[in-house]
Amino acid sequence: MPPPSPAFGRHLALLILVLAAASRAQDPGETIEVEGERRSGSAQAPASATTVIDSAQFGGEVRSVAEMLLSAPGVSVHALGGPGQPATLSLRGASADQSLVLLDGIPLQGPGGGAVDLSTLPATLLERMVVSRGVLGAQFGAGALGGAVELLPRSARSTWSGGAEVAGGSFGTGRFALDAAMPLGNGSGLFAVQGDRTSGDFEYARQLTPEISDSPYYGFKRDNADAKRGSALMRVSQELGDDLGADFLFQGSTGLRGLPGPASAPTPRSRELDQGALGGLRVRGTSGGASWSLRASGRVDRVELRGVLPFGDCQDGTPDCPRQDQRSSAGRGEGEIVLPFGEANAVKMLLAGGGEWVSGAGIGPHRRGVLAAAFSGDIALPAGVAVHPALRFDGVGGQTGLSPALTAQWRPAPDHPLSLRAGWGRSFRAPTFSELYLEVGGIASNPDLRPERAWSVDAGADWRVAGLTLSATAFWSSYRQLILYQLFPPARVKPFNVGESRIAGVELQAVVPLPSRFLATVSYSFLDAVNRADGHKLAYRPPHRVFARLARRGDRLEGYGEVSFTSALPRNAFDTAFVGRQVLLNAGAGVRAVGPLWIDVEAKNLLDDRTYEDLFQYPLPGLSIAVIARARL
Amino acid sequence: MKKTAILVLIAACGGKYQAPPPVASIALPEGSQLKPYHPDQPGLARPQVLAQAAGRVYVTLSNQRDTSTFPVNAGPGFLATFVPSTGAPSITLIDLGGSDGLQCQNPGFVRASADGRLYAPCSGNFSGSDVSRAIVEVDPLANAVIRRAAIPDGRVPNGVAVTPTRIWTGDSFTTTVFSIDRTTLAADPTAPVPLDCPKNVFSYVADVMTIGGDVYALCASDISGVLYRLAPDTGAVKGTVAVGPNPTELTGLDDGRIAVVSAGDNTVWLVTTTGSTLSAQKVLTLANVAALQDIRAFGRILFTVASATNTAQRIDLDAQGGPKVVGEANFGQSSGPYNILPLDDMQAIVSNRGTNTIAAANWVTPK
Repeated sequence: MPPPSPAFGRHLALLILVLAAASRAQDPGETIEVEGERRSGSAQAPASATTVIDSAQFGGEVRSVAEMLLSAPGVSVHALGGPGQPATLSLRGASADQSLVLLDGIPLQGPGGGAVDLSTLPATLLERMVVSRGVLGAQFGAGALGGAVELLPRSARSTWSGGAEVAGGSFGTGRFALDAAMPLGNGSGLFAVQGDRTSGDFEYARQLTPEISDSPYYGFKRDNADAKRGSALMRVSQELGDDLGADFLFQGSTGLRGLPGPASAPTPRSRELDQGALGGLRVRGTSGGASWSLRASGRVDRVELRGVLPFGDCQDGTPDCPRQDQRSSAGRGEGEIVLPFGEANAVKMLLAGGGEWVSGAGIGPHRRGVLAAAFSGDIALPAGVAVHPALRFDGVGGQTGLSPALTAQWRPAPDHPLSLRAGWGRSFRAPTFSELYLEVGGIASNPDLRPERAWSVDAGADWRVAGLTLSATAFWSSYRQLILYQLFPPARVKPFNVGESRIAGVELQAVVPLPSRFLATVSYSFLDAVNRADGHKLAYRPPHRVFARLARRGDRLEGYGEVSFTSALPRNAFDTAFVGRQVLLNAGAGVRAVGPLWIDVEAKNLLDDRTYEDLFQYPLPGLSIAVIARARL
Repeated sequence: MKKTAILVLIAACGGKYQAPPPVASIALPEGSQLKPYHPDQPGLARPQVLAQAAGRVYVTLSNQRDTSTFPVNAGPGFLATFVPSTGAPSITLIDLGGSDGLQCQNPGFVRASADGRLYAPCSGNFSGSDVSRAIVEVDPLANAVIRRAAIPDGRVPNGVAVTPTRIWTGDSFTTTVFSIDRTTLAADPTAPVPLDCPKNVFSYVADVMTIGGDVYALCASDISGVLYRLAPDTGAVKGTVAVGPNPTELTGLDDGRIAVVSAGDNTVWLVTTTGSTLSAQKVLTLANVAALQDIRAFGRILFTVASATNTAQRIDLDAQGGPKVVGEANFGQSSGPYNILPLDDMQAIVSNRGTNTIAAANWVTPK
């Protein structure tokens, strides 16, 4: 590894000074709320391995959704470069298509029905994220083979409140965010916007002759990695009667970015425009102890590729370089009822139906119906045992399947800090529209694809007391009929149901409140992902990942330091080539300057290591510094 | 003084890494020089395989045009030929397309026979039914096409091995090899020889080559690779041996061994022939490159190219501790080196499919 930049020492010294000042300056006797692991799990998936991420704990930092998710165990992100570039989620080594992302319960998808691009999601509009791991199709629907991430947007409030944030930093990166919550009619409303931009023109370093181990690194500047994005969120809640209410949600986002390509073959003329909107209306009520809700939701997404060729870039607007427009949408209606019985028991039933549509270049128009019926129960048994059976039927187009699951939890006493849990689940994932029909350039379609299938077991223990959380989980999962893109001679790739894998692992997390209002968070993930056909490791799954963070929140001073370690990971299917290990150090510090106004400075990649690359040879930025001003009323 | 101050300022403001050195290369003809079928839709050279004959270097030009779906043949296939020299060589084009321009499209290989002729299989548009699939015979002394063998329908030629009586080629569609009578240039009526290598999804014939009087054929699949040794006259299988997954090329060494490079796991194998037995040994893993496309030998030195890392490697088989990469060259971003031709044990020529150039890899230490 090349030596850190000389500038590193200066930056580090400055940050240490500010952090030290922060720890001394706190007034004795002040109390702060410890943010982080306040909520223990997902209401959708009780007794599952779950991590709750409060976005407030990253206040004063320029964070993307992907960066915040990486603080949880079992999460890895497959990204294609620096800020604003595409990033997809992987839970427990599952592919992005096998890891569901839901915004306020509405499933998100990318164009073509595939995985959602996390970089299109506005981080400041979210209140928290709930990461649930395991085969959770019974709880969240078909497709949740690695798990699900529930993105919970900021809540509407019945009192006036609001906040603003402006940030600017290295490589022309900037952000603004505004939100306001207020009483509205017979309820409350929330309006929020976020804008992001980056020039993306960071410097990076590569070995030109990597087979010579001590060969020099050379410097390059990233080109065509700029990005702009605007997002808006609106939530309105209205009470329509004593036992009746309605909630409305709208979220929209539009972005334009360069697609710079890998370092070995840059694509300086390729661009992408994306637009997406999502809306949902829910009517909820209670009656005779039962609670019910009816919900209609819809989503439209569009992506337009400009100057993109299968094997490079081209000049947008020329005859051989048409713009490639692709649109997808979904509409769904669902009804849910929760019936309590006994002292602490409940059953929940859900019926949902709708459709999905896709059209555009290389894929043509297609539609398919979706149907779901689900049942789940929360049953308290003697001796502190609770069981949560769940069964869900999903029909996606002509492909149907049952997803059963059973999770259980035991506590020695109701308020005892210790809980033990175990779970089993089985489910499937229907092929995406892209896998079935996308026929463009080097990609061939395969309408004969069958669903992927998986099952998993896990067991774990949690210790939660007074802000302290210790959590450990071990899991074992099996995947069959995996859809993998394979070379399809002479020069294309085509998806086939050929994969069969076994993924096992361990997830550890500790959230420890410390004196002087410090909070330490450590998470560790171990993955053993094996191709069952030949025993080789699955590519692009990091065996070890560690995230450690020490943060301090006060009402005058705040700061954090964190380290993220990702071990070397295989980049081919034969255990002979690897992406190198990465260690990222980030730190920041802030002061409440006047009234509610906070000024923060943060530095990412403090070691200024410019040699890091995401998967597929996409360079990552070296040291970047940002200044953030924010206020909340 | 002023100049010195400026230099100091530049040095102080400069990054911590040097800028990459410039890469010298020679542009291959393109556009109207490649006789496009439609003047407003010209092609790019897209050079592929290199061969040497009559003191000259030959490189196939696919002459393709990029589109939003798949590269299409913009004009006839060409050979570009030049005399390697330290200066800019003069490039001569040999049109393989005949009078109608359709007699050969997308030539993917060129190889010299023992009697000095060049043979280039043309894959056409990979449909298996177009008229532009052929194997053309070129006289390197006249730089002209002499004869042409048509390919039976349903087959797409890939690779070429010339024996005294036959021209062998692989079929991209059916994982078979078949022969063409070298006298009549008609496809032999005998059934193609099937090759078999374990696969999950696909298998194909990566190349065929004449080495030591026998024909060797590489069966490549997504999970395996098998080298076949075939009788030069009948195609009868004389032996097989497993090599690494998805092998892309092979080459003969002076000592009779055969080197194979496998793109699937980035490995180099040496195959030894003992009587009717073939044995293979993995001798090197190139863990830091991607998409290994070619391997050639000069004496005890092997040369490989990796198109996804834009690099070529020089491998010393006699290095202390076993075969080792002792030199590497980079041809610049997007160059996509595809094929390499050693001129001696320290210098080689590379065809860059990405940038439509040829370049030299030179490991001679300047004195």
